[in-house]
Amino acid sequence: MKRKEPLFRVVKREGGSPVRLALSYVVAVVLALCIGALLLAMQGVPVMQFYQDMFTMGMVGSRYPFRVLEGFIRLFVPLLITSMALSLAFRMRFWNIGGEGQFIMGAICAGIAAFQLGNTLPQPVMLLVIAACGILGGGAYGLIVAALKVRFGTNETLLTLMLNYIALYLLEFLGETKADWNFMLSEQSARPVFAQFPEAADMILFTIGPFQLNLSLIIALVLCVLVFVYLKYTKQGYEIAVVGDSPNTAHYAGIKVGRVVIRTIFLSAALIGLAGAFYVSSAGTLSTSVTNDVGWTGIVVAWLAKLNTVGILIVSLLITVLQYGCQAAGTAYPSIDANFADMLQGIILFVVLAADFFIRFRVVIRGKEAVK
Amino acid sequence: MKKLLALIMALALVLGLAACGQPAGNESQAPEGGTSQQPDEPQGEEPQGGATGDFLVGAIYINGQNDTAGYTYQHHKGITAAMEELGLDPATQLLIVDNVPEDLTQVSNAIDQLANQGANIIFGISFGYIDAMAQKAEEYPDIVFCHGTGYLGNETNFVNYFGRIYQARYLTGIAAGLKSLELGNNNLGYVAAYNTEYAETCSGINAFTLGAQSVNPDVVVHVNQIDTWGDETLERQAAEALVDTYDCCVIAQHCDSAQPQLVAADREVFGCGYNSDMTAQAPTAHLTAAIWNWDVFYKTAMETAMSCGAAGDFVGALGTNAYYAGLAEGLVDISPLSENCAENTQAIIDAVRELIVSGDWDVFSGVKLSYDVAEDGTVTINQTEAPLVTNDGTEIVAAGGESVTDSVIKSEMNYNVEGVIAH
Repeated sequence: MKRKEPLFRVVKREGGSPVRLALSYVVAVVLALCIGALLLAMQGVPVMQFYQDMFTMGMVGSRYPFRVLEGFIRLFVPLLITSMALSLAFRMRFWNIGGEGQFIMGAICAGIAAFQLGNTLPQPVMLLVIAACGILGGGAYGLIVAALKVRFGTNETLLTLMLNYIALYLLEFLGETKADWNFMLSEQSARPVFAQFPEAADMILFTIGPFQLNLSLIIALVLCVLVFVYLKYTKQGYEIAVVGDSPNTAHYAGIKVGRVVIRTIFLSAALIGLAGAFYVSSAGTLSTSVTNDVGWTGIVVAWLAKLNTVGILIVSLLITVLQYGCQAAGTAYPSIDANFADMLQGIILFVVLAADFFIRFRVVIRGKEAVK
Repeated sequence: MKKLLALIMALALVLGLAACGQPAGNESQAPEGGTSQQPDEPQGEEPQGGATGDFLVGAIYINGQNDTAGYTYQHHKGITAAMEELGLDPATQLLIVDNVPEDLTQVSNAIDQLANQGANIIFGISFGYIDAMAQKAEEYPDIVFCHGTGYLGNETNFVNYFGRIYQARYLTGIAAGLKSLELGNNNLGYVAAYNTEYAETCSGINAFTLGAQSVNPDVVVHVNQIDTWGDETLERQAAEALVDTYDCCVIAQHCDSAQPQLVAADREVFGCGYNSDMTAQAPTAHLTAAIWNWDVFYKTAMETAMSCGAAGDFVGALGTNAYYAGLAEGLVDISPLSENCAENTQAIIDAVRELIVSGDWDVFSGVKLSYDVAEDGTVTINQTEAPLVTNDGTEIVAAGGESVTDSVIKSEMNYNVEGVIAH
């Protein structure tokens, strides 16, 4: 019996130049913004004004543009580092969705160091200690999952996901439990609230005229270059790619797969922990909503950028501009609240993913083309 | 190397975009007081001098500005009502950043945005905003900062504000106590977000209990704690347990939604709501609710900020950096009594309200109230000296002693009075 041909089927496209790829993403973003414009216009919001304020984050001709830029950097750095770190794991097809938890553990460990050491060390040394604590805290939290996966073949998606909540509730417990042992809370406040770090634990700021440059931005950009080189030009980076393509091939090629997994996941989680440490050091305190969802947004960024380091830099920049800019542009309009930024982000993601699909595949309708 | 070059070019592109964002031929009109378009205009740097036209109000909310119930909604309603009373237009003169979690960076960013856009006064409504508000009040001395439920302030431009909601709760306790007398059931229930962890919640529980005891000395209050400020499912379950397990005949609440009142209606018992008049939701059950009139503070604050000249004189003009008002000022109140209330409830509550407003007596003192109602409905209040005792027997205030201080009620109270049973 001859099988009936389906109404339509999906066929993989061959080739496709990078220019065409980039162009189609630009078109997708523009299309998403057009949908957003439609929604804005429906609510009586002046569209051009809104988008102008959004992309400039309300800085043009305003009173304190540099404060806004500093705030932007404080949000951009954790997202950039986290997305980059996640891409390390994703390249190996290790589904680390535990960015939130690793970020929090890094933040908690950095906080412990900051509170316990106080002003005993000079600021640069103190920051190194805090960074090390963040790296170890986040890294160790990721290491648990990697070790279990290598030793017992456990599912890393489930484990990293569930460990997120353990970390979050640990942080909430620390933030809401008044007790003699809890050195993290402010002593003046009757109601539980995290204390401020000693000054030595605050992030170094370089004053350039009216602008204060956050040291963590420079480090994040350097990390970007290092990760790029690591993935592209080192043996370890190559091993990650091979293990990601096929663990069996890697095994027969003499790569110790278990070791690569453990090393890479430690690196990935440690970088996320570092992002947590930078964030709390820049704020000078902890909070129970410290992650700002970077563990989740980072996944989006990493995939939108195709796990490409340069792409991650661009996409994380754009996503932060979108989130922070939407907040700036929306303050004056009652109908535009924080949910609108989330929705716009969702539309962009959706349209870009759709574009991605149509770049890689094409739909063939029954009878239009002979089956080869 | 090509990619590195691309990276640098991409950065240059984005920065270029950020730098030259001035629109050419921008026809759409932004609302006045949006992101300011006139770089030369020194908005708000001069004293406001009573001009309402360019006065901008900034607000930072913990939930959505378009909520239709709950904590943020109450404050948003208060701010917009106050603005309208003062002739300010909320559509153009109110700048809002909403859904801001209690995280220093995110609150600081929100404040920077509002300051950047020229806000003259900034309200932050959630407790965890405290450190960011304190830091930014120093950074921006030309802006007035008002922080709800906090305890910090300075001598120039930074105040905290809260209200004596316990006074309203005492009145709702009277309504509940009278109902329990009528029903012959001495078990009252209370769905509480928290209890002794927060002075705000336990002072409310204590005041409700003392109010109920003033009309029915045998009454006990069963407290069911849900450990969150709002969760409709938990609120519902907690109320159900109070009725089904402890046979409570009136359900009071300190949580966000009207679920406890809906349970009371389902189970054919009665209830006292919170935040807004919940008679609409539970007409057969609701007695009266302890409510906030936040517009009372917001109006005072905006008026003061507009008339005091410079932001640095705000605290002096307001007379305090810890605004704490109650029934007397109208910041807290109870909703109109429903038809479900027992006889004489209105008369007794009116008499007690008058006493509290006069300032001669307050809830947490060493003097207890009881009432005689004459044939013609006139109420005589009897004041008896009796100690304020906790439910583990500790004496807090001696018989006839002064009320506990405001700072204890606001931030340190961590005990339940006699008659409270915490489950």
